This record gives sequence, structure tokens and C-alpha cells, in this order.
Amino acid sequence: MVYIRDNIKGGALTETTFFVLLAVYKPNHGYGIMQFIEKETNGRVVLGAGTLYGAINTLVKKEWIAPFNDESDNKKKEYLITHIGKQKAEEELQRIEQILQLASTVIKGDGNK
Amino acid sequence: MSKTVFRYFFDFLNGQEKWLNRMAKDGYRLKKCGKLTYVFDECSPNEYEYAVEFVGDQAYSKAKDYRRYLENMGFRTFTKNIYLNFSYGKVSWRPYAKGIGQITTSPGGLNKELLILEKKRDGAPFELHTDIHDKLNIYKTVRRACAWTVLMIALLGIMTFIPNVVSVSLPMAWFLRIALLIFFSLFFIPTVKYSSLVKYLKEESKIFE
Repeated sequence: MVYIRDNIKGGALTETTFFVLLAVYKPNHGYGIMQFIEKETNGRVVLGAGTLYGAINTLVKKEWIAPFNDESDNKKKEYLITHIGKQKAEEELQRIEQILQLASTVIKGDGNK
Repeated sequence: MSKTVFRYFFDFLNGQEKWLNRMAKDGYRLKKCGKLTYVFDECSPNEYEYAVEFVGDQAYSKAKDYRRYLENMGFRTFTKNIYLNFSYGKVSWRPYAKGIGQITTSPGGLNKELLILEKKRDGAPFELHTDIHDKLNIYKTVRRACAWTVLMIALLGIMTFIPNVVSVSLPMAWFLRIALLIFFSLFFIPTVKYSSLVKYLKEESKIFE
């Protein structure tokens, strides 16, 4: 249903992808992931259930996250980030830090003139 | 007290969703739905809200998994038909679907092309898709379903002009043509509507995620 629109050359992840990865550093289920993102962004990012379902399935296929338990006994399916997922999240963090540094230099530099 | 309403939506996604939310605003909660019927119970006005999701392009197992996931998220779900299949017995061809989802059966995914979701109104918007690219995918699929129907109706219309293909009297042939023209228009309108939505979202996606 949903694909990850990551910039192949730049390696940029979508905000949805990055937040889902961050939300499953500890085992978490769909509703928990949604709540984590809403809480940590102070309500700026509220993922739709359909969008989140597509993102989870794509990340599972890519093996960036993996099911943590089986959906049995009415227990909700939980997910956990994998080694590859952690690698991707770290790369994204570095990319964002580079952008932040460049933007701070340009924007704040202009503002001081 | 229950209220039964007969209705068919040519704009089965947004049109149906708006109507269900109007009913909820007037104090009616969906109890069950049949092929052309909706049964409502009375409730407080604006107590519930609805979203309609298209799953007719997916294999039945995937659609079932998605429904279970949505129920785990706390939504009440109903399945609904769209009558845009080309059927032979209990097997149906859905040319707009993906892969194995093109063939559907009953029992199975046939006449369960839509999911109607209900949640208590809590002030937050009831949006299932919040990513532009995700929305684009959905609207493209719905447009494909409508466009296929328009194409099939057009082909049927053309066939009525081919001698010896349709063996009916001339007045009957014109009656058929007019009926087909009406159906053509009714499905053409949502096709154009979803095309313009796709165009708008494509533009937006150049700037926003």
C-alpha cells in the first residue's frame, strides 16, 4: 500500500519512516507507535492508521524492523528495530546533523549581519 | 429505533464517507450494511464519525490482516461492496487490482471492497492516510477502479452500434444506449474528481512529504 520514498542518492528517509524506527527501539505495537510519535512531536505529527500500516509492512519487508511476538491470545502484534534498522536510523541522524549545521551557519549567519 | 436506508454510491469513497458522517451528525450510528442497505441506530448527534477505506485492490488475506490491524487500533469495522467487478458465478475479475487481488471469490474478498470504519468523535481529524504519497496511491487506485468501469461501459455502448452483436429492437437498443450513457456519466464524474485530486497531490508532493 505504501512505499518508502527515500532519496536513494541522499539517503534521506521520510519523516514517517524515521519516526517509526525511533518508536520501535523498545518493543511497540501499532497504536503505541502512533502514540509515541504524537507525544514526542507534541502533536505536530499524527500518523493516520492506514499510513502507519503501510510503513510497518514495508519496514518489515525491508527487515529494518521485525515482529517481536506473535499476534495470539488477543495480544497486539509488537515490533522491534533490527540491526539494519538501527544502522539506517544512525545514518539519518548524521544526515540531519549535517543539515542542521549548514542551516544554522547560513540562517544565523545572515541574521547577524 | 432502527432506520434502514437504501443507497448506492458512484463516488464510493469520499461520497459515501461524507454521507455517513452527515448521518452521524444527525444522530444515526451505523449498525450494519448490506449490498444496497444501511441500517442505523439512533445515537447522540455527532457522537461517532466514519472513514471509508478502499481495499478492493488487495488480496483477501491482506485485506483481512488490515481489517484486524484496524480493529486492534480501536476502530469498529464493516465491510461493503462496490459492485465494480466482472463476475462469472462466484468468481470475479477486478482489473484495477494488484496481482492476485485481481481475482476474487465468494466467500472471500468479493463484495468486501470497502472497509467502513467508525470511531467516537474525539475532536481529532479522522484521517487514515496522512502521508501525501500514501494518499496519492489510494486516489490512483480508486481512479483506476472508476476508469475501468467507464471503459467497460463505453465498450458496451459501442457494441450496441455493431450490427448483429446486440439482437434487440431499435427502440430497445436506444433505451440501452441512454441507460449506458447515464451510467457512463455517473462513473465519469468521480474519475475526473479523483484525477484532479491526484494532480493536486502530485504538485504538493514536490514540496511536502
